[in-house]
Amino acid sequence: MNRNNIWIHVGLALIVVVFAGVLGQIDRWRNALRSTSDRTQTVKPMTTTRSLQAGEPEVLVKFRAGVSLSQKAAIAARNNDRIEDRIELVRGLVAIDDLDDADPQTVADHYASMTDLVEYAEPNFAIEVDLPEFREVQPTDRDDLPDNAPNDPYFSDQWALFNEGQNGGKAAADISARKAWAKSQGSGDVVVAVLDTGVDYTHPDLVSNIWIRPENVPQYFDAELGTFNDRYGFNAVDNAADPMDQNGHGTHCAGVIGAEGNNGEGIAGINWNVQIMPLKFLGRGGFGTTKNAIEAINYAVDRKKKGVNVRVISASWGSTQYSKALENAIKAAGEEGIIFIAAAGNASTDNDRRPHYPSNYDLPNVISVGALDNNDILATFSNFGAKTVHVAAPGKDIVSTWLNSGYREASGTSMATPHVAGVAALILANEPDISVADLRKRLVGSTDILDILNGKIFSGGRINAAKALGE
Amino acid sequence: MGFDQNSAAERAKEDLSKRLGIDAGKIETASVSGKEFPDASLGAPVDDEMSAQMISSGWEITLKADGKNYQYRGDKYQLRLKDYNGSNHIVVS
Repeated sequence: MNRNNIWIHVGLALIVVVFAGVLGQIDRWRNALRSTSDRTQTVKPMTTTRSLQAGEPEVLVKFRAGVSLSQKAAIAARNNDRIEDRIELVRGLVAIDDLDDADPQTVADHYASMTDLVEYAEPNFAIEVDLPEFREVQPTDRDDLPDNAPNDPYFSDQWALFNEGQNGGKAAADISARKAWAKSQGSGDVVVAVLDTGVDYTHPDLVSNIWIRPENVPQYFDAELGTFNDRYGFNAVDNAADPMDQNGHGTHCAGVIGAEGNNGEGIAGINWNVQIMPLKFLGRGGFGTTKNAIEAINYAVDRKKKGVNVRVISASWGSTQYSKALENAIKAAGEEGIIFIAAAGNASTDNDRRPHYPSNYDLPNVISVGALDNNDILATFSNFGAKTVHVAAPGKDIVSTWLNSGYREASGTSMATPHVAGVAALILANEPDISVADLRKRLVGSTDILDILNGKIFSGGRINAAKALGE
Repeated sequence: MGFDQNSAAERAKEDLSKRLGIDAGKIETASVSGKEFPDASLGAPVDDEMSAQMISSGWEITLKADGKNYQYRGDKYQLRLKDYNGSNHIVVS
């Protein structure tokens, strides 16, 4: 190597280093942007059509069992194609990029003709997908808010708590949270169990209001499952102590009930102070078994018996399947002084005719909750029932806490349920000794009557936190 | 595990091939479309299952074989076969 070659190599090395540095910086910028997006934007579904872009694989080919990866690569190379990706979920399936950019159907037909090697081949068709449409959550303009509004930056998006007609809503179609807060902002003595997908107990807007097992309460012991160091709650999915949320649904519900209020972060919960006990029985997909729901309720009842002030279980889930065992578990919770707030369901059906459980269990500690939009109209998805759905609450386009320290908008009777659980906790903060029967009577009897709910909802109204506190 | 629309559709085809005992090449992907479902079970609950009552986005996949349509529903965590021989089935979760 002569001196000139050395300088050429040094020059090339410098170019590579600089190029790598630029790429790294671009990646850091991209990650920072993504992180910001996670924290400040909410998601609304939008239907669009995806078309294949240049460089995307044109065909999906499923080779027969026994064809090795090297054989597949060789076959692709013979056709001037290359294997873009192996799809592990389907054995033998690969995505192939045709370097000649021929018609995808022609390429697929060519592969399909190799019947001894290929099971099937098809174009990588364009698909209609639900892509998220990001709607920026607007930070509160303090000048537009009343003096007693909390300083949480997304408060103006929480129409359920304070509706002044923003985003096409109807003024005063809310739960009168500000009036209620003049009387109570919650209490750290009240424990609300969120029986769900778990809760992200590290979320900055929740961390101060997460239940932590006091030292004088023994570790949880179950005769079959063993002993658990239940620092934050219980995980019945994995029979473990850690109830960390992998889905987001439980974290969303927890935020409605008790995101720390007036802390300059995210949203305000109905209770600025409360203890959220995360109970996980729904897995990362958001579904779970009746048996695991019962295990988690058993945990809450056990903790109550050991001196933890669990007074509310928020249950944003259900099905049409009746379970005597689940009904008995909920009844047992009631006998321990725990009210059970349950989602009415999202099938747009009449629960009087087609029962939904657990909301339809005819128990003195169960309240069934339907969902309203920001115009005080029953959400199109919400179940109803003049006899069996007791109250309505905001449940459409609800902004709350999500995974990765984020915030997200979601809809469902899932979102209506924690509004009622939250108001129950506010009442309990003010009246810690109120019985379950009186608590239920108060919640159902203090609604704002809405004509549109007549014949649809037992109480005929939307919950009102201020009235529930005796305003 | 994490599905996307394509892998969900292919996995559905593989499942149907096994259920019907026919070659996957004889199964046609009639449509794949984004859809909102009423709950986390994608509106296709199985026995003894409870699901979050949140409106959930996913894909509806319609496969066609021997002149009959079969409906699968999926999202990034799961794939279900709806109303097959009178009941719903979890294919992957």
